[in-house]
Amino acid sequence: MKRLFPLFLALSLSLSACGAPTVGDVGASEQFFAMDTIMTVNVLDENGEAAVQAARAEIDRLEQMLSRTREDSVIALLNTHAGDGSALAVEPELGALLRFAQSVSQDLPGCFDITIAPVMDAWGFTREERHVPDPDTLADTLALVDWRALTVAEDDASARLEEPGMAVDLGAVAKGFAAQRAADAIRAAGGTSALLDLGGNITVLGSKPDGADWRVAVKDPQDTERQLGVVSLRDKTLSTSGGYERYFEANGITYHHILDPETGYPADSGLLSVTVVSSDPLLADALSTALFVAGRQAALDYWRSRDDFELILCGSDGVVTVTEGLTFAFRGEEHGYTCETARR
Amino acid sequence: MHFGGRSMDTPVKRPAAERRRPTIGDGVLALLVILCAAALFFGLRPASGNLLTARIVLDGVLVAEYDLNALTSPVELAVDGGAYPMVIQAEPGRIRVLESGCPSQDCVHTGWADRAGDQIICLPNRLVISLSGAEAQTDFDAVTG
Amino acid sequence: MSGSIRRLTRCAVLTALALALSVAEGLVPLTILFPLPGLRLGLANLVTVYALCRLSGREALLILVSRCLLGALLGGNLMSLAFSLTGGLLALGTMFLLLHMRGLSLFGVSVAGAAAHNTGQILAAMAVLGTRAPLVYLPPLLLCSLITGTVTGGACILLVHRVPQPLERKS
Repeated sequence: MKRLFPLFLALSLSLSACGAPTVGDVGASEQFFAMDTIMTVNVLDENGEAAVQAARAEIDRLEQMLSRTREDSVIALLNTHAGDGSALAVEPELGALLRFAQSVSQDLPGCFDITIAPVMDAWGFTREERHVPDPDTLADTLALVDWRALTVAEDDASARLEEPGMAVDLGAVAKGFAAQRAADAIRAAGGTSALLDLGGNITVLGSKPDGADWRVAVKDPQDTERQLGVVSLRDKTLSTSGGYERYFEANGITYHHILDPETGYPADSGLLSVTVVSSDPLLADALSTALFVAGRQAALDYWRSRDDFELILCGSDGVVTVTEGLTFAFRGEEHGYTCETARR
Repeated sequence: MHFGGRSMDTPVKRPAAERRRPTIGDGVLALLVILCAAALFFGLRPASGNLLTARIVLDGVLVAEYDLNALTSPVELAVDGGAYPMVIQAEPGRIRVLESGCPSQDCVHTGWADRAGDQIICLPNRLVISLSGAEAQTDFDAVTG
Repeated sequence: MSGSIRRLTRCAVLTALALALSVAEGLVPLTILFPLPGLRLGLANLVTVYALCRLSGREALLILVSRCLLGALLGGNLMSLAFSLTGGLLALGTMFLLLHMRGLSLFGVSVAGAAAHNTGQILAAMAVLGTRAPLVYLPPLLLCSLITGTVTGGACILLVHRVPQPLERKS
């Protein structure tokens, strides 16, 4: 046996190299349904269970407040009182959220509007009875879409919809808001290393327990089993909007759920998906929807005007545009994509 | 210049170098290489070949658990506890939602799940089928989209 | 003294030969038959075995390192250098030790060298890529090294016995 020592040495070296401990042996994790999606909260600190529960409680609380399909939610009340002139008292955090959504509408005119709810209902995206609405219905509902007709009091303590039939849907900001508040809850409970997956909206806190950056893959919008690439980062949120998430087909045409507030039809800007990376979860969530509607050029122009987010844009032309502030390992070449870097 | 070593100046004596036929030692060595290869092969994938567990969770409650690789014939499971009735089909090594009463049919369109880490999700029914076993073969922590 | 020039020349010729062999082997890739990354016949190993048997460990090492560096210059990159150097050094060390043991022929030595070479390559790949993923290729590569090692082992026996001994003492 002694004679084969060198060979054994070589092989045992390789064997010991594969016995490295995997991340995730400590900490806590929970998967649950909320906000019409599936969410996973992982806290990788020791005794992370309390932080996980705090995050979940916060998300459940926000769902109570923000879901317009729950009759008792504040948003449902706001919608029922639309046009009757009464201002509804709201929590200041909700007032601030509504005001934030309006600021996005103002920055990106025609690309983002939380009062799109009547049009979404006409398409049946709310009740999962998806169909193409007839033109009259569409025109009637589109006339009700106007974020300026949502009045939020100066002190954020009350809100009012000015026209009857108007309705607010916070689908484009709710997950981001929830991620922001859940991350705060985890930090308050002492968590330092966490990963929140709120239906594909990924928020990472700190670094991995071994000190490495988190690695988050971006889905290939044309085959969601595959990835366009992997972003390495810490303390960031990645929010992706794409037409592949919710859609239906009618007469051979695919209709997806991200509606253009100008036309009332699914947005057709030449982009298949938009991923926004930011340290502000709320901003990332809202912008992924708004910039998906805006298109590549407008998205890059807007990116150049600010410094608090980065972008990964996947176009139907097969070009993946990544802004220069990201550490992105591109993996789409074998699936026919090309990658370009956008500079300021 | 000094090139060192007696071996430099005398013909080198290497027993192995003088033989022309394979020896029993060669056979033992070959056997050891095979053993190492086999040990590595089984050591590396303790689970992927042997264990692939599908957990079916309906709104947070575990409904059923299958060891997919231990199945010998297809199994169908009707899940009626959710908002819509659905039928889940498990075969050796893979599982899918065969039919569902839910409006979106996303879970049916997902098709077969056959790798550790795969998930099939039916949002309207609040149902998750998740596969675990072998370490998921990915080099990232999460997927956005 | 002419001995050192002789040695230098010999090393240079053997390095050139090893380089030529590894380039020639690249022209007929085995990976067409078996799609296994890193699979090759390992003809350059012939030179290492010859040098170990007929020259010295030190000269074998010199030839190996020169061959790897020159090979990287010729048409490789830093990564291929890391692979070939790690594999080559591990193979050299293993064969050096095994050559001193009784009960083995060049078949066995060569198989062990091929196995060690593959192990080294995989270790280098794991280090470079920072993941243990390449390890899954090692078991099939080890099995292939039985065949490639036997082939090169047979060639080594011919080489070592047919090529005349260097005329060291006459210089």
